[in-house]
This record gives sequence, C-alpha cells and structure tokens, in this order.
Amino acid sequence: MIEVRGLGVSFPGSSSPVLRDVDLDVAPGEQVLVLAGSGAGKSTLLRVLAGIVPQVVDAQVTGHVLVAGLDATTTPTADLATKVGTLTQDPADQLCLPTVLDEVAFALENRGVDPALIGPAVERTLAAVGAAHLAHRRTAELSGGEGQRIALAAALVADPRVLLLDEPTALLDPAAARAVAAAVRAAAGADRSTVMVEHRLDELGRLPARVLVLGPDGRVRSDGATQEVLHDDSRTLAQLGTWLPLSAELSAAGVGALGQLPVAPGSPSRSGPRVLRARGLTVRRGSRTVLDGVDLDVHAGRVTAVVGLNGSGKSTLLLALAGLLTAAGTVSGGSVGLVFQHPEHQFLARTVRDEITWGPRRARATDVDDRVAGALDAYRLTGLEDRDPFRLSGGQQRRLSLAAMAVCGHDVLLADEPTFGQDRRTSAASADSLRRLADEGRGVVLVTHDLRLVGEVADDVLVLRGGQVLAHGPVDAVLADDGLLARAGLPLPPVLAAWRTTDHRLRDVLRALHAAADRATSVPA
Amino acid sequence: MNRLGRALPHDSLLHRRNPTVKLAVFFVVSVLLLVPVDPWTPLALLVVAVPAVLAAGRIPWQTLGAAALLFGPFACSLLAVNAVTRDGPVVAEVLGLEVTGTGVAIGAALALRTVLVGILAVAFSLTTDGARLMTSLHQHARLGARPTFAVLAGYRVLEDLPERWMTIRQAQSVRDPRRRAGTLPRDPGSLTRAAFTLLVVALRQGERMAIAMETRGLGSGPRTVHRPVALDRRDAVFAAVVLGVCALVVLASWHVGVLRTWDTV
Repeated sequence: MIEVRGLGVSFPGSSSPVLRDVDLDVAPGEQVLVLAGSGAGKSTLLRVLAGIVPQVVDAQVTGHVLVAGLDATTTPTADLATKVGTLTQDPADQLCLPTVLDEVAFALENRGVDPALIGPAVERTLAAVGAAHLAHRRTAELSGGEGQRIALAAALVADPRVLLLDEPTALLDPAAARAVAAAVRAAAGADRSTVMVEHRLDELGRLPARVLVLGPDGRVRSDGATQEVLHDDSRTLAQLGTWLPLSAELSAAGVGALGQLPVAPGSPSRSGPRVLRARGLTVRRGSRTVLDGVDLDVHAGRVTAVVGLNGSGKSTLLLALAGLLTAAGTVSGGSVGLVFQHPEHQFLARTVRDEITWGPRRARATDVDDRVAGALDAYRLTGLEDRDPFRLSGGQQRRLSLAAMAVCGHDVLLADEPTFGQDRRTSAASADSLRRLADEGRGVVLVTHDLRLVGEVADDVLVLRGGQVLAHGPVDAVLADDGLLARAGLPLPPVLAAWRTTDHRLRDVLRALHAAADRATSVPA
Repeated sequence: MNRLGRALPHDSLLHRRNPTVKLAVFFVVSVLLLVPVDPWTPLALLVVAVPAVLAAGRIPWQTLGAAALLFGPFACSLLAVNAVTRDGPVVAEVLGLEVTGTGVAIGAALALRTVLVGILAVAFSLTTDGARLMTSLHQHARLGARPTFAVLAGYRVLEDLPERWMTIRQAQSVRDPRRRAGTLPRDPGSLTRAAFTLLVVALRQGERMAIAMETRGLGSGPRTVHRPVALDRRDAVFAAVVLGVCALVVLASWHVGVLRTWDTV
C-alpha cells in the first residue's frame, strides 16, 4: 500500500536534511507507529505520504514514494486525497466549515459523489466514530475531544485506503484522549493501512503491531514488531527523548517491575510563608458558573497542581488568581506571573533576548543583563538570542516563555498546561524548571491533565469538577484515592498504578525511574 | 455568543428565500435608489419597506430599529452637509451658514436612501445564514470552489477571533510586572502587539486549514453539493413582487410630480 525508497527531505534554509534515506513498506491493513524525538521528521514523513511535502510546502525531496499506487511527490494533494485520509493534532486547524454535517460531507462532495449517497455515508461515519449525537452541532461549539472525532469522521468518510495520524490525541484531556484513541483503533480496518505518530502511548490502549523508529539524523533507527523494538531498543528510544509505554520504560531502566527499582528517599519540600491567599473565587460567564467558591493558599517552596477534566474551571482559576478576569471573592498576596498554554500568545518582542529582557526592563530592575544571561543559560536558549520567537520550535518556544516569566522574580508563578503537546525531553525540562522555581522559594501553581507530571513535581493537588473543589490535599494521598479520581473523571496512568504497589513516596519513585533510564542511556550501547 | 454571519434563529418568508436571489434583489433595489434625489420617493419606499421587512422576516422591530440607528449618524451628516453646500433659494441661516431649499431636499433624499439601504442590508443579514449564502453563490452564481471554501474557512477563523483576542491580551498583559490587576492595557503599543500576534496566529491557522481542505480533496475535479440550497418559482415570485412594488412607487412619485433625478433637480 505504501512503498518508500531512499526518501530524503530537506527544507530550504535548513542546514541538514530532516529525513535521510528512509525506506518503508506498509502492506494493506498493516498499522505502523512512528517514534522519534522532536524535530526528527515524524510529521514530515506523514506530510510526504499525504502529498503535502513538497507540493504545498516547499522542500527538496529525493527517492520515490508510492502511496496506493500513486506517486505522492507528484500527484496533486487533492487527487491523492481519494486514497489518503489525514488527521492532525488540532481540531481548530481541521474543522473548516460551520456545521458538522457540512464538515463530514466535504470530502465526498469534493469527489463528486451522488448527493443522495452522501447523507447516509455521513451518518454511518459519524456513528462509527461515536459522534452520531453531534450531527446537528456547529463546529465552533465542539469541545477538543468532540472536534477531534468529527475531524476523524471527515477523514474517514471517503473510505481512504491509507490513514495518516499525526498525534491525534496530543491536545486532549485523558478521558477525551482515550475516546479518540478508541475511535482511531476502530477505524483501522482489514484493508486500510495506518501510519501513526503518537506520544501518548499509554492512552492508546493497544499499540500498532509494528514500530518505525527515526533517529535524530532523520534515518531509520529500527523497524520491526512493536514488542521487540520497544523492549530490545528501549534504551535507544529513551535516549531519543520519545515517550515510552511503562513496560518499555522499565526495561530501559533495567528492571522488570517498578517495585524492583532501588529508590532513595528524597527530602520533602520545605514549606515557606504563604505568598497568595484566595477566598471564595467565583467566576460566571453568562448564566453559567465556571468557578464556584474556590479557596486556595499558595506557600513559598511548594508546587500545587490543579487537575480536572476540560471545562472543570482549571484555566479560569489561574486567570482569576492572576487578576486577569473579573471574579467575585478575594485574592491577596505577592506578585503573580502566569505562563499560558500557547507560548506564542505571550510573545512581545522580535528576538529571544528582547523577549527575556522585557519583564525586568519594565520592572526597572537594576541587574537586567545578569538576569537575562542566567535565564538564557538555565533554559538552554544560549545561541538563539537573536532568533525571532515566532520562528522557534515548539520546545524552544516553551522554554522561552518559561524563561521570560521566571526572570521577572514573581512571588507566585502560575503555569497552564506547560507540557502540552511536548515530547518527553521538553516536558521533563519544563517540569524540572517549575520544581526549581519552587525550591528557590516561590509558590507555584500548575494546571495540567498529566497526572505523572503532577507526581513528579507537585506537593499538593487541588481537584476541580464543574468549577468546584472536589478535593485538596497532599499529592500521595489524592493520587491514591481511586474513588476521588473516578469522580473527577481522571483515569490513572499505568505508572501511577504501579507506584501504588511500592512503599515509597510517588516523587521518589518517579525520580528513581527517570534517573535509572538516564543512567542506562548514558552507557554506550 | 458570537452571532456574526448567522440568521435570527426562527423561520420566516425571508429566511426561506434563496440567498443569491435575495442578494441580487437587494443589489438591484440599491442601484434603483440611486435615481431619485427628491425626499418623497425614498420616504414612500421606506414606508412600504419597513412593515414589509418586519412582517416577511419576522424581525422584532427593536432589533431592526437598533440596527437602523447605526446608519443614523451617517444619514444626519449627509443631510447637514448637503443642506449648507447646495446652490438654491436660502431658507434659513444656521451658525453663519446658508441653508438652501434644494440642499435640504437633496440631503433628506440621500439620508432617507441611506437609512433604507441600511434597513434592507440588516434585514438581509438577519435572515440569511452566511454559510448557506456561500453555498448558494457556489451553486447558483457559479462562484468557484476555492474562493467559496476560502471564505467559509475564513469565517471559521473569524468565529474564534474574539476569544483568541482576549486570550492574547491577557497573556501579554501578564508579562508586565507593573500591570494593575483587573484591567487589561489599552494603550496603542499594547493593542498593536496583541494585533500582531493575533495576525500571526490567524494566518498560521489559515495555512493549516488550507492544507486540511486539500487533503480532503478540494479542487480535485467537479464536485457535488449534498445539502443544496433550494431555488424555485417562489424565489422568482419574491423577486418580481419586490422589484414590481419598487417600480410602482417610483412610477407613482413620477406621476404625482415629486420625482426628481440629478437631471431635473
């Protein structure tokens, strides 16, 4: 179904090729998972298969690429679309029409299908992805998970021979991610080949039978049966910075189960004075109460994680704490900084250096140069000083937005989904920097749906549901409470389930796992 | 709730008419209105049009009134400027400026024309769904698939714009260590930076949407429309009635002797 030989791709203005000498054969009905670190060409490979690179996005492409018998490098994208369906990360980029019905029918209309056949096909496809109830909604009103299911239906409606999936669950909360992953699984038929790029392997449920690993140089590192590749090459994979399922992570750490891992107890976080006090925070939008009487104390040296499903009021709570929207109730205490979910929304300057300098200069700080130099170093931005923030990679943008806020020296730092859509290495770096800021004596509040991240950095957890506080307590107690997590709608990641079988503190266990994987990967293979 | 480009959520005679026909009729009436420059003809048309639009579109008069008020200041300025700048018999003197009878008549004509065109435009947009209009233009006015769907995708970007604008302004304001809690900056520098970011973000989204539409086969050949917009005899009757009534009013005003054009004024 797919035959790729000697594929090389380089983008204009880039010094080295993104992909080199890639060979890939995918049989009809076969499913392939592509793993690689950031910038290693996963998305580029999918875009070549979809006929986007080099036809819509300019690039130099060598080798030959046959998809369902068509040359993907020369067949117009729209013609190739008769055989190939594509699903990407963000529903906002894929839902182009005002209503769900028009959106799903679009691909059939473009193929000139008889209008009498389109209605039933749309209905069938919506039912197949579990979205029949959304048929009469407007696309602008859909949640992320709903939007992603509609985008999947829109890709599947024309019954493509090949389905390309580029991190379809990256931007969803755990419950929505599992629902979309299930729909994707159901979409893979006996005569439909799928090629999938995905970070959230634990959410997938069942992994595709075959894995292709791309190295940082853009070459194929390994290609084979999933179980073999994940376990035999787990160290290599950990080294590449890709997410791994727990079992592979354990094998990279050289143990069979989490309980066998030697764990050294760390020192608990010191709790300093209270730096922020919020009482009775209530936010209404129209007739809806988005946040309902939330109390929160933030202490220096501690990280509080706020968890809950999308729409539970997490982001609104941060906006209210930062004084960015009108809320009933009181907030008192020190100065507050907030790192937003999308780094691009916060950029104010045309170079990385000016971006970091912005805050301290506005604050008329005296040691601006020292602070900026320190931040460039701490956030690994040295060498990028003169680059345009809008032209950085996703991981670099994330580090820059954290650096630009950290350098202001606020008493309280709030962060909204700082690891959203990032690979393992960038996520770990973001988590480390938040922990470091707390250890320096600031109060940190972190909104996330990644419970593992919560375990790695947080001291306390605030669980929200429907704008109300469901629970607030120490991280180990909250994450051990199954009833509570079920009521909050938060599925437990496998690594946390495994932690419960040990007698150690969660953070110590996760650190030990991390350290063991790091040690293993630093040994030359 | 963003209602941009969306019809009032009820059914009416005007809601059911074909959007392309409605647009064409609106265009023809607007061109016809360029002919009279006496106040009586547009006034008579206004007297006919307002109740017709209220009834046929089931538009609440408050909604139509509020929308028409938007055109008020422009209409008043047309009246004022023409009243004191046209040659003719002086009927009054205001603040040292001579007001002429001809000026008042032409000014009133242009002001009434503005209000009438405004009311028709509002009635059109309150009874027409933007997406159905584009589908209809694609179907009945031979508008190409690419421009049609570019406009529709642009509309999707537009729908998200108010929320995104707010997020960007919040995100940027929190970067200022000296900001005051509870307010967002309104100085030109801050607004310009927010607008720049909004533009970059919207353009990138637009690019990705264009690619998404290509990957669903837009432009691969002749296409069909699964929910076509109806076009039938009732639309012809609608056009004939509206244009006929307008012609009758103009004829009547000519017959009575009040019709003036630029040639006879």
